[in-house]
Amino acid sequence: MNRLSKSGYLLFLPAAFFFSIFYYWPLLVNVVLSFFSWNMVSSKIKFVGISNYTDIVQTAEFYSVIVNTVLFVLFLLIFNFVLPYIYSYILAYVLKYGKNLYKVFFFMPSLFSLSVASILFLWIYNPLAGPIDAILQIFGLDSPRWLKEPILVIFSISMIIAWKVFGYNFILMLAAMMSVSKEMIEAARLEGASDWVILRKIIIPQTSSSAIYVFVITVVFGLQYVMIPVNILTQGGPNQGSANLVYVIYQYAFVFYQVGKSAAYAVLTMLLFVIFAWWRNKVLDKKVYYEN
Amino acid sequence: MRLKAILSGLFCMLALLVLAGCGNSTSNSGSANDKVVEIEYWHVASDSFGGQTVRELVADFNKTHPNIKVTEKFNPDMYKGLTQNLQAALASGQTPDVVQMGWNFLNYAHENFETENIDKIFADAGDPNFIKDTFEPNIARLAQTDNGDQVGVPYSLSLPVLYYNPDIFKAAGLDPNKPPKTWEEVAEYAKQIKEKTGNPAFFMQEYADTWTNQALVESNGGTMLTHKDGKWQAGFDTPEAAHAYQVIADMVKNGTGLHATNEEGFQSFTSGKLAMVATTIGKRANFEKSSNFKVMTTTFPAFGNKPVKVPAGGNFLMILSKDKAKQKAAVEFVKYLESAENLTKWDTGTGYLPPRKNMAQEGPYKKLIDENENIKKAMEMLPNVTPWVSFPGQNGLQAEQVLIDARDVILNGSKTASEALHEAALKINDLLK
Repeated sequence: MNRLSKSGYLLFLPAAFFFSIFYYWPLLVNVVLSFFSWNMVSSKIKFVGISNYTDIVQTAEFYSVIVNTVLFVLFLLIFNFVLPYIYSYILAYVLKYGKNLYKVFFFMPSLFSLSVASILFLWIYNPLAGPIDAILQIFGLDSPRWLKEPILVIFSISMIIAWKVFGYNFILMLAAMMSVSKEMIEAARLEGASDWVILRKIIIPQTSSSAIYVFVITVVFGLQYVMIPVNILTQGGPNQGSANLVYVIYQYAFVFYQVGKSAAYAVLTMLLFVIFAWWRNKVLDKKVYYEN
Repeated sequence: MRLKAILSGLFCMLALLVLAGCGNSTSNSGSANDKVVEIEYWHVASDSFGGQTVRELVADFNKTHPNIKVTEKFNPDMYKGLTQNLQAALASGQTPDVVQMGWNFLNYAHENFETENIDKIFADAGDPNFIKDTFEPNIARLAQTDNGDQVGVPYSLSLPVLYYNPDIFKAAGLDPNKPPKTWEEVAEYAKQIKEKTGNPAFFMQEYADTWTNQALVESNGGTMLTHKDGKWQAGFDTPEAAHAYQVIADMVKNGTGLHATNEEGFQSFTSGKLAMVATTIGKRANFEKSSNFKVMTTTFPAFGNKPVKVPAGGNFLMILSKDKAKQKAAVEFVKYLESAENLTKWDTGTGYLPPRKNMAQEGPYKKLIDENENIKKAMEMLPNVTPWVSFPGQNGLQAEQVLIDARDVILNGSKTASEALHEAALKINDLLK
């Protein structure tokens, strides 16, 4: 029933043309590059087979990078998925006054660029001259080294991204919360359902399609956002403590000038994202309610 | 009919694409027939870092040299950014003629960017002794590889110095006119300041490079890199190097030293909270401008009475042109940039130190020094300048990263300097194979 006519194919062609040039061709080149050792300039390009991959998998660095990436995802899910979910519920169903004020306040930071946010937080985190330190000093405490301790650095960077992204995700969730039909909730109330039952049986299922969208962009975009503060504030440090899958691709290509390894990392990263997308489609989508 | 419309639409789009592609190539070949030689100059001078000076220098050169036209191009993100852009430019065959190359990219540039021998380029242009006549031997050597090949012409120098805040010194009962000369004194001063003010008192820059660490190691009699059995190996797996690193780590451990990102350390200093910062003289103008106290400078501290050795930061000029006429024009331009007067302009705009002989004794730069005590202190260290070690080979830049990571581990206190340096040396030797 959805078969294309001749002119249909023709209309499809320009998009396909650009898509294959700007998406699939680079992807193919990237896969090819991952089998070579090259620095992008030298005339010496050496075919090394799969040794870029075997080298990567054999280093401890690869696994610490994956652990860091998972930690980033966990923190980002808490700040940019779970919290917006709870806040939007509170705003839609619990709070009586000042809703618009909160909407504006929460959304405002998402208008700033991440570089601006990074510089801002550089001041906030300053262990000797920053405001957090000033507060801690009142209690006689020393400021932690926000950007210089393993794991803490991932939390600190996730906070910067949360500051920017929270508002946008919050507005998306709020729109979904508001569109749950009032009649259904009224009817449930008349039947004597508690707030908890209404949340579990009506609101969560009804907002699940938006929630899944926010969940996916939190993971996929979030990992790309990580690149900017990491590059500005830590360059992957301390001791590669904030290096993640996206940053190492950049680091190998443009800091170490090892294109082959970088391409291999990119392919591995893509595979992980493919697995994520497959899991989302197969497992997660089954539990989601779509209106149409 | 509809099909036709669609087809013509597609055709228009294709035509546009093709035309857009042609546009570039036609405009490039337009001026090839003129007598004027066009060369391109790549630099890292942003508007807050001598950008205006570069534009003035280039405009003035073009005015006084009617047969040469220099176009300047700014590259963001300093020398790393410039090298990245250069990679791309060379890959597409659009080579600039004169570039500012960071000292730490010397080996990399020499191994990867095919250039004609710089001595031959100057000889062909009729001035074979320019480099020898213009620079002291230890400065000319900075732009040479280890086997003595001259890769470029020294242009901008920076070196690490110790900045301090005289107000905090006074508050802690220290004499601002007697800044610490050795690391032992730095540690004592920091301890006294910590006791009086409660704040950490010392920060050493933590850029993603090993510049100041090299200064520490070499000033304590250590080396970064050694040549053994025909192979390059890490040279810092020694007690001297470990002790040099450990001095800073101990200060961090007992709370008198600050371990933070670079910008955090600098902010703490300019906001008057931190007493001492060891970083590049290139930060002088910025510090003087953004602090509300009188920023003072002293020479990089020594270990006991061992001689201080500081690696050169900044850049040298490389000539990449293949064409003879362009090479000649590039030499002309480089000589113009290296004149005492133009170096003074450039260094006023950026805060770099001039590489040329006798700048401190005569001419326009002497005036500058007489007015600013901080520059004078830095100029005193020029005889102590050594080349910034860059690790050789395809994995060289990755090897440097290993050492950067080791610094974090040491300052963190999770390992002692000798343990961390030993592990880093093993990794680096593996990478340099």
